[in-house]
Amino acid sequence: MWREKLQLHKSNPIAALYPSCKFLILCLYAACSFVLGTIGVGEGGYPLFLIPWFFIVPILSAASGVWKRFLRAFRAVLFIAGLILVVQSLLIPSEVVVWQLGFLRIYQAGLKSGLSLSFSIMNIAGMFVWMFQTTENKEFTRALEDSGMNYKAAYVFISSLQMIDVLGKNSRTIMNAQRARGVETEGNMIVRAKAFFPSLVPLIVGAITSSEERVLTLESKGFDVNGPKTHLFELKKSGNEPLATGIAVAVAVVVIAGRIVLWVL
Amino acid sequence: MKEKKHSIKSDFSMLAILIIPIAAAVNFVGGQLASLLKLPMYLDTIGTIFAGMLCGPWVGAVAGGLTNVVTGIANPVNFAFIPVNVLAGLVTGFLARGKMFGTWWKWLISMVIMAFVSIASAAPIVVLVYGGVTGSGTSLITAAAMAAGANIWAAVIGTEGIWTVVDRIISFLIGYLVIRVIPARTLVKFGCGENYIKKTTAGK
Repeated sequence: MWREKLQLHKSNPIAALYPSCKFLILCLYAACSFVLGTIGVGEGGYPLFLIPWFFIVPILSAASGVWKRFLRAFRAVLFIAGLILVVQSLLIPSEVVVWQLGFLRIYQAGLKSGLSLSFSIMNIAGMFVWMFQTTENKEFTRALEDSGMNYKAAYVFISSLQMIDVLGKNSRTIMNAQRARGVETEGNMIVRAKAFFPSLVPLIVGAITSSEERVLTLESKGFDVNGPKTHLFELKKSGNEPLATGIAVAVAVVVIAGRIVLWVL
Repeated sequence: MKEKKHSIKSDFSMLAILIIPIAAAVNFVGGQLASLLKLPMYLDTIGTIFAGMLCGPWVGAVAGGLTNVVTGIANPVNFAFIPVNVLAGLVTGFLARGKMFGTWWKWLISMVIMAFVSIASAAPIVVLVYGGVTGSGTSLITAAAMAAGANIWAAVIGTEGIWTVVDRIISFLIGYLVIRVIPARTLVKFGCGENYIKKTTAGK
């Protein structure tokens, strides 16, 4: 049946978790990252616990069966985190030099803040990548609506995601058309900056004028009517949520208890 | 003409609700186009700016926040910049309500205010969350300035500052051109649209 085609069936038990359960895991993980970041190891007080803690993200992604998608989305985060680590450790001067090669000096304070910043970013951003790669956009929207979000807000959210595809395609068409008319897109920076206008202005104007028609379409379908709404896409709990939440809470409790024990000792 | 009453609820009309996704998508496409044309600016607040200009501060703020949430799905680094984009929408919206887009010198003042707000809100995030580099083209200049011995705050505000001003000039120009082209019969349907209609034709 056509309605059956809209539903999602996931075989992987981790990927099939309910979106709000995944979000809870993410929040606990991020909180633990902050806690672990406060533990200094060795003379320099480096936050080394963040490094093994980070391994959870790729392991979880591989276990969820989204390893390739995770890697593709995580590349951008990895690039920035690496850049931050290099810039911070080489460029923030302090008295103690940890390591020296020619004119390159790695300073203690810089290395410490670089490690802390880059691994915190990788931890939190990596977990977001995992969440978004294991969850479809329509699952999110449905979960948001079920948790009490206004249906109009949920519509705006999903519509933005779709609009990015639509306008992205349109912008390529417009740019090719303008190029065919002789608008230069290569050359010095002023020439390139000038090419920006004929590509973007028609795109925006077209989108705004077409939104008038969309208002009529939506209103004719009863979008503004107050009353219970029906859904074509159903979101079910997989049944493993209590177990997953239990594991996440247990790990978080152990981490926080460990931190408190270290304080007391 | 009767003065319009503004409430947050009436701001979010049906048309405004449909402008928000467009604004978010334009922000995204603008950023993509800027990197496609190898421009050293982000140009990713154009949608926020015209949403704020047409529909007021709250719609602008929602459009700005949503942009970074949606682009954050692909690259979570963007989540940290939500406040910058929200503030851009709010400020443009209040400027539009205050009829600051009437004459050319008011446009200039608005542009300066916007650039200032953007630098003031973006610099702390760049320094405190990302240690001065965000992986964009300007990061190299920032890193070079830091290597030359400049303070991290001075390096970030100096390099990001120049490009933010250029960024805002281009974004505002596009907003202005778009509003010039939209017909008056469409403009009246937007919360702040009346401000942009030439009174000589409206009076007849």
